Amino acid sequence: MKKTDVLIIGGGPCGLAAAVGASKAGAKTTIVERDERLGGILMQCIHNGFGLHLFNEELTGPEYAERWKELVSASKNIGIITNAFCFNLEKLSTAHSTMHGISSKKSGNLGIMQENFDTMQGVNSGGYLVSASSVEGIIEIEAKAVVMALGCREKPAGAILLGGTRPAGIFSAGCAQKLINVEGKKVGKRVVILGSGDIGLIMARRLVCEGAEVVGIYEIMAQSGGLARNITQCVQDFNIPLHLSTTVTRVVGEKRVEGVFVAPVNEKLQPIKELEKFVPCDTLLLSVGLIPEIEIAGELGLEFNPVTNSYTVDEYFQTSSTGFFCAGNVLHVNDLVDNVSFEGGRAGECAALFSKSGLDMSNKLEITYDDHIKYTVPKYIYNNKKGEVKISFRVNKNYKRTIIRAMSGGVEISKRPAPAVTAGEMQSLTLDKSKIVNDLHLEIEVME
Amino acid sequence: MQNFEVAVIGGGIVGACVFSELTRKGVNCVLLEGASDVSNGATKANSGIVHAGYDPQPNTLKAKFNIRGNQLYPAMCARLGVSILQCGTLVVSNEENRANLRVLYERGLQNGVQGMRIIERAELHKMEPNLADNIDVGLFAPTGAVISPYLTCIALSEEGVVNGGTVITNFKVDKIEKNGENYIISAGEQSVSANFIVNCAGVGANEVNALVGARQVPLSFVKGEYLLLDKSQKGFVNRPIFPLPTKMGKGILALPTIHGNIMLGPTAQPCEPNDTTVDDEGISAIKSKVILSVKQPNYRKVIKLFAGVRVISGDDFVIEKMPNSHFYFTAGICSPGLTAAPAIAEYLVEKMHEDGLEFREHKFVARKPYISTVDMDKKSLKELIKKNSAYGKIVCRCERITEGEIIDALNSPLHPTDVDAIKRRVRPTMGRCQGGFCLPKVIRIIAENNHIPPENVQLNGENSKILIK
Repeated sequence: MKKTDVLIIGGGPCGLAAAVGASKAGAKTTIVERDERLGGILMQCIHNGFGLHLFNEELTGPEYAERWKELVSASKNIGIITNAFCFNLEKLSTAHSTMHGISSKKSGNLGIMQENFDTMQGVNSGGYLVSASSVEGIIEIEAKAVVMALGCREKPAGAILLGGTRPAGIFSAGCAQKLINVEGKKVGKRVVILGSGDIGLIMARRLVCEGAEVVGIYEIMAQSGGLARNITQCVQDFNIPLHLSTTVTRVVGEKRVEGVFVAPVNEKLQPIKELEKFVPCDTLLLSVGLIPEIEIAGELGLEFNPVTNSYTVDEYFQTSSTGFFCAGNVLHVNDLVDNVSFEGGRAGECAALFSKSGLDMSNKLEITYDDHIKYTVPKYIYNNKKGEVKISFRVNKNYKRTIIRAMSGGVEISKRPAPAVTAGEMQSLTLDKSKIVNDLHLEIEVME
Repeated sequence: MQNFEVAVIGGGIVGACVFSELTRKGVNCVLLEGASDVSNGATKANSGIVHAGYDPQPNTLKAKFNIRGNQLYPAMCARLGVSILQCGTLVVSNEENRANLRVLYERGLQNGVQGMRIIERAELHKMEPNLADNIDVGLFAPTGAVISPYLTCIALSEEGVVNGGTVITNFKVDKIEKNGENYIISAGEQSVSANFIVNCAGVGANEVNALVGARQVPLSFVKGEYLLLDKSQKGFVNRPIFPLPTKMGKGILALPTIHGNIMLGPTAQPCEPNDTTVDDEGISAIKSKVILSVKQPNYRKVIKLFAGVRVISGDDFVIEKMPNSHFYFTAGICSPGLTAAPAIAEYLVEKMHEDGLEFREHKFVARKPYISTVDMDKKSLKELIKKNSAYGKIVCRCERITEGEIIDALNSPLHPTDVDAIKRRVRPTMGRCQGGFCLPKVIRIIAENNHIPPENVQLNGENSKILIK
């Protein structure tokens, strides 16, 4: 039985940052990574655009991962276990304690201020027992706090009820990315891509570079779900046709994909059958959404948010089970890896504080918001007037001109004009908690 | 040319049962399968229910073999080392149709079904909390069960092999000639000879019959589409929930699989013999009809659509022998065909025996079931990993399948080579990501183990290569 203060499940951009955050806050930290090496999905993302916010540089995925690996190596007290797959997680019997008086300290390169807390929770709580399978046997680790940094998986064809046949040649975009970029293989010659999320757009360009023909990208929504920069750099610059409000209706081909039927959709997103047409191709890539990989925590009975398909967290990235933290893409699907690492860093630091001295969990407040907003991360904050809190959220559709407002006690406490707010790009507001009275409500005023 | 006493044509559940039955009686036999793996037709795409036997009309072959098959299954599964979920089955109805449920009950009694019970609303909703609100009454048949149809079929074929039988895959029978007492059965350049033939070719029954001049059986084909839900939905129903049957079949059901998924379906659409496409009409039919029996399923948890083709011949099975020959054929083995299969095999083998086929003293060799690390306790798993570290290396994270298990499957008696064949045995790519994560690893393991380039790895049979050169 190994023991650690903070156990981080997953060694990708979130987990690595979480480890650095936890280590900086003085915790004995352990990363468990299922792959042979750290880095997670970054290792197959050979395109650039990573790190603009955190490192002020445009890095490729492996370079970005390397930066974090260096930070991990330079940190104290981080143990790394690779090739180990966590398959069981249980909460040990809990004995909460209330602590008083912690001296203020500033920690982390992410600039988070932790001050004196009045009511503290953590320290003596029971902790968690995690079991992992590895070539050396079953590894059991007892941790005071856990950060779940497992990322997400891609939706398969079945999840979008894609009809027709089920031959070879249907890949999720990320799977194709791994086969091409890591395994050095080719997946097809004539490719149709369904869905215009970032991975789909990036893979469209990648396939063209690899000599394949990308017949078209089909997107059921009226707008792409990807970042504006990816539409320009991956699609327009390569003259790849992007068909909006159009979807693949069924797959044709018994043994290998022979083509797909595509059709435009009506306002209800239903395909217009009369306009269905056949597009010959040998490969179909799916970039139709990501689902957080939350299953390891299934037994904990955590509070769940059906909008994000994941658990809810407070401002410490702590779930409804004290000492169990969740950040990055396993919490909500992010657009930018920098934000994933930002969240990981914060979660790691908070997990460390939880394990060392406890967290102030007094005056819990649920953030409310208007109909333009789909969800917020965090869902809860602690109304203790201390420090700042960054709130991330997504809107339900694209707006040209808006003003984002935070209201508390009927008064506007923060306001930001936001031109071109899109469903594909995450928004955020950083608030001074001293201005929060007894509620926090986010509003979007649409100026069109 | 290899000589056999019996050639079984078709490696679906019926053929596999006949094959296993023969080998256990010391008969030298071969199972000929046209596809790259057994269980690749209707057997892999059906509900997997071992029916109790209240549904078929009395005094039919369906009734007779259903009842007998149902009795044979528990011991057969134990012998094979495959799972059977003895959960019973439930037909549900509202108050208005109580009389029709009673008809089923009476028919069950007449057919000899044991232990049936009419269950009233309060108890019923306790047993199955997700029944639709308007369900008032149910017929519970405790002898109904759920199995994995493809795994059972594979296990039977493997059992046949370890007991001296031969399985030849990719053997599409295209010629049968008589050579004295023997049949010469050919597939392209390949031939085997046998004294007896049993045609269990499913959708291809008439094509095989035509090769020997046996009668053409009137067959129709009806597609059944399914939605498969993620294991997180386990417990949505605890046993198969049927609506009252209609002329078109047993209706749209919700049922648990032995692995903990939930399955919805099948539809019943007339189709071409090999049409396993799923279409919007089918999906809509499942959605609109399943809620007649159960509450709204969580369609966000669908991980896979699939379809299988039922082969139907009138109201009953066709199990015959061509006059003055050693050629036996089965056709129209639709529901309850999976249940009936071991009983059909028992019957056919006995008939061949009466016809002169000799049984020999045979020392039975038990098949070795696949190791499933996910089902092992920690202590046993630790010991296993100590012996072979490949059992500690997780490849498929959704189903928690290790490299050791995949290598076992590759080296199993039928030596499967395709990704889907490995999936049917030990489940990598079967889970919620459907291979999004593990497909590259599975391809690599198959290529390394079989000493072939990764580009030659197939998904499911010839011409289904996953990568290109």
